[in-house]
Amino acid sequence: MWMSKTWLVQAFFIFITTESIGKLLDPCGHISPESPVIQLGSNFTAVCVLKEKCMDNFHVNANYIVWKINHFTVPKEQYAILNRTASSVTFTNITALSVQLTCNILTFGQIEQNVYGITVISGLPPEKPKNLNCIVYEGKKMMCQWDPGRETYLETNFTLKSEWATEKFADCQTKRATPTTCIVDYSPVYFVNIEVWVEAENALGKVSSNHINFDPVDKVKPSPPRNLSVSNSEELSSILKLSWINPNIKSVIRLKYNIQYRIKDDSTWNQIPPEDTSTTRSSFTVQDLQPFTEYVFRMRCMKEDGKGFWSDWSEEASGITYEDRPSKAPSFWYKIDPSHTNGYRSVQLIWKTLSPFETNGRILDYEVTLTRWKSRLQNYTVNDTKLTVNLTNDRYIATLTARNLVGKSDPSVLTIPACDFQATRPVMDLKAFPKDNKLWVEWTAPNESVRKYILEWCVLSDKLPCILDWQQEDGTTHRTYLRAPSQGPMVRTKKVGKNEAVLEWDQLPVDVQNGFIRNYTIFYKTIIGNETAVNVDSSHTEYTLSSLTSDTLYMVRMVAYTDEGGKDGPEFTFTTPKFAQGEIEAIVVPVCLAILFTTLLGVLFCFNKRDLIKKHIWPNVPDPSKSHIAQWSPPTPPRHNFNSKDQMYSDSNFTDVSVVEIEPNDKKPLPDDLKSLDLFRKEKSGTEGHSSGIGGSSCMSSSRPSISSGDENESAQNTSSTVQYSTVVHSGYRHQVPSVQVFSRSESTQPLLDSEERPEDLQLIDNVDSGDNILPRQQYFKQNCSQQETSPDISQFERSKPASAVSEEDFVRHRQQQISDMVQSSGSGQLKGFQEVSAADAFGPGVEGQGERFETVGVAAVIDEGMPKSYLPQTVRQGGYVPQ
Amino acid sequence: MMKILAAGVVPLLLVLHWKPGAGSPLPINPVNATCNTHHPCPSNLMSQIRSQLAQLNGTANALFILYYTAQGEPFPNNLDKLCGPNVTDFPPFHANGTEKVRLVELYRIVAYLGTALGNITRDQKTLNPTAHSLHSKLNATADTLRGLLSNVLCRLCSKYHVAHVDVAYGPDTSGKDVFQKKKLGCQLLGKYKQVMAVLAQAF
Repeated sequence: MWMSKTWLVQAFFIFITTESIGKLLDPCGHISPESPVIQLGSNFTAVCVLKEKCMDNFHVNANYIVWKINHFTVPKEQYAILNRTASSVTFTNITALSVQLTCNILTFGQIEQNVYGITVISGLPPEKPKNLNCIVYEGKKMMCQWDPGRETYLETNFTLKSEWATEKFADCQTKRATPTTCIVDYSPVYFVNIEVWVEAENALGKVSSNHINFDPVDKVKPSPPRNLSVSNSEELSSILKLSWINPNIKSVIRLKYNIQYRIKDDSTWNQIPPEDTSTTRSSFTVQDLQPFTEYVFRMRCMKEDGKGFWSDWSEEASGITYEDRPSKAPSFWYKIDPSHTNGYRSVQLIWKTLSPFETNGRILDYEVTLTRWKSRLQNYTVNDTKLTVNLTNDRYIATLTARNLVGKSDPSVLTIPACDFQATRPVMDLKAFPKDNKLWVEWTAPNESVRKYILEWCVLSDKLPCILDWQQEDGTTHRTYLRAPSQGPMVRTKKVGKNEAVLEWDQLPVDVQNGFIRNYTIFYKTIIGNETAVNVDSSHTEYTLSSLTSDTLYMVRMVAYTDEGGKDGPEFTFTTPKFAQGEIEAIVVPVCLAILFTTLLGVLFCFNKRDLIKKHIWPNVPDPSKSHIAQWSPPTPPRHNFNSKDQMYSDSNFTDVSVVEIEPNDKKPLPDDLKSLDLFRKEKSGTEGHSSGIGGSSCMSSSRPSISSGDENESAQNTSSTVQYSTVVHSGYRHQVPSVQVFSRSESTQPLLDSEERPEDLQLIDNVDSGDNILPRQQYFKQNCSQQETSPDISQFERSKPASAVSEEDFVRHRQQQISDMVQSSGSGQLKGFQEVSAADAFGPGVEGQGERFETVGVAAVIDEGMPKSYLPQTVRQGGYVPQ
Repeated sequence: MMKILAAGVVPLLLVLHWKPGAGSPLPINPVNATCNTHHPCPSNLMSQIRSQLAQLNGTANALFILYYTAQGEPFPNNLDKLCGPNVTDFPPFHANGTEKVRLVELYRIVAYLGTALGNITRDQKTLNPTAHSLHSKLNATADTLRGLLSNVLCRLCSKYHVAHVDVAYGPDTSGKDVFQKKKLGCQLLGKYKQVMAVLAQAF
């Protein structure tokens, strides 16, 4: 019931509001058409019709209408007055995409009032979508895409429609993010033709693409073959067998394949002839491969008839062909030591390693046989590429075979002639010349058949000895070039730092060196920088580039040089890091430590100066319950006997001492008091001579607050805000003798002072005086005003002086007297001694004999008359002032 | 009452879902048939039908195994008794008939199987809600049957101008108990496997 009432009220309110707004917003006219969408470049006419009521109110008609477009007045030439109430405006060749058109009237001749406004949106009708095509990813739903054509500048919806010959499917609505693709929401059914087209529609029109009709099976993109594996054959070193698992769609369609392979370190893929892989299968044997070589394979598949799409490439798989016996005999030569000993000659047999393409496996060793004419065979098994033997001067036949796991290479046969052999058919017309950056050697072949040639050469250099290099050539050739490296070193980074990089590389294989590597040159550069070259000795396999820029991409390549030339290796890039290893830690850790240290120092400082800080942060209100005026009764009332200055410092003055008993806060240890006093002493130097007001108006006013704690000192200093407990004027200011010595009782309404309330405390003084043991409370003996020569109006800091005096010179002297073996004369030493003592005395109440020391100090202070303002804490001697 | 409703409504819905064969049994009416298709039938229609039959035949056994495995005992060990292809009122097929006759019979069989498969799929989603693989396979088979039906109708319509074929449907399982539902499904899939082998050979 209550709910229904609420609804009624709400409905009524809404009705009233709507009515009111309708009245308030009732326009004077309207523009037709209301929300026009027009084609770009077309003409547009709008009509503004005024209401009679409005016309009467404002005394206007259609002649008063002013058209505005984007707040600019439209020229009158574009207007047309249709009748008394209607005016039209026409625009030709509209090019703006969106304009605000308003109808306004001029009331009272010049006041322009808006009547109505519309937004004119321009655009283009959709173009016929083109290139509609669909793809069926195996196991997924069909996706179609198309070219939407020109930009329409309007919201254009694309709808993919599809149907069988006998059945229509639900429309596929594109998503806003992908307006040119759509994935149908039904599973594809193979072997049933489907017709698909796209309809594009916006406010200016609707257009359909061409229909495409296809069997979804002809649009399939299969999943790639999986679990590709490679196995070799011990029988055939030139084959590898591939096996794989076909995608599931193989149960529906027949497949064909692309199989590609490459040598592992090569980047170029070779492809098995497609005609060999044009039928469905799950394995394939690749032939004509090199033995003992690692190959990488990948494959893909598609529908056998070529309709549809190739699958993605499968994951790569690799396999190594089995070994075969070395395919070539090594190049074989010898060197003879010219020195003869005992009919033997030293012969060094040398040979060159085979290339990896020739070894067909890992070379285990070389077998060398030496045969002298009609003598037995000598066999040698060598791992190196040279063998030195002592031979007789006879003729020898040497053979060399390289051996791997499978077998031996063909033998290289070399005749080592007898010592007295004279070559009768030397090579003629040997000449060398440079050509095409190579050093060519040419000779005239002898008439007889030649099995092979050996070229020997060395570099003629003043600096280098002639180190012979050699190369073997076929017997049919008569021209060759001295081979420079056929391959450059592959440089890589071993370690990259912020400003340096350690490069490393492998020695070039002998078969690609084509001579002796004399040096390497490393070229490196940044993307924008110049190339820098560094020469490196050929014996090195690593080099450190320094002075690099951090966070920079470097390109490095390396060239190996023989005497005949150089060869670039592949370019390598690396990026130097922004920060060196540990640099961030090196920055962060000290900063953290510094912060920690600063914090600790701050805490320590605050701890040590907590009283000072406390003083500055909040005012101290002395605890009245802990204050009292001790017994004080000057034996010689000053008002009857004002002493001259001399008198003030005379010995007799010793008795003229006013005693103020100060009762320390029991809860507060003495050391703190002393510290605070010391602090005040320092402050005093800056405040000396200034009156501190009532609380510090007299030396005699030095009461407990000045001694017992710094807090209380402050309270005394700030007289306006503190309670004055007593003000005693005993001497004048700067030799001005007060007319009357005043003993005034505080007007404070604070609780009574301890001494008044607890007279029993007074008795303790006697106890102290009579005993050398523990002081029940700290007592300070204060000199009379006679010492207040410079500052009778003693500030609270001055009133702290007794304590500071204890801590300084007088106390030091006392120590000097008492402890003869203390530091004698050094000021700093004295200070040190003071510090030690004061520190010790800081625990005064517990120190044996302290009372005696205080007494002595008091004596020292009085004797030292040259030390004004020496207010010495001391115990009261027997016979001295007795607190009353 | 509910059972009657379910027995009547479900097949009707299934048939309506199967638009090509929807409605009441239709007689072959080659004379005045209005055989309109949305677009012309492809020229390789018979090839597509053969491919579809091969596809169905290729997966029928796997579907059968998946089905009786999913039902659990006693089905896997009593296939002869529980899953024998003893389906009453199954449309006949004469492999030696003319293409038109074979196509008409094929149409009836596919319509029958499609409806039956729909019932099985519905039942299995209730009886074995976690047997997603079976559900998926049943749905895929139903889709293929639907495509086959479209192709057959297209062929009948385009070549033989047969627009209407009267079809019969199998027993409705909605009112039966769980075991009967499973058993009928198993028998139907056994029959499906058997008849698909015949049909794949016949075209």
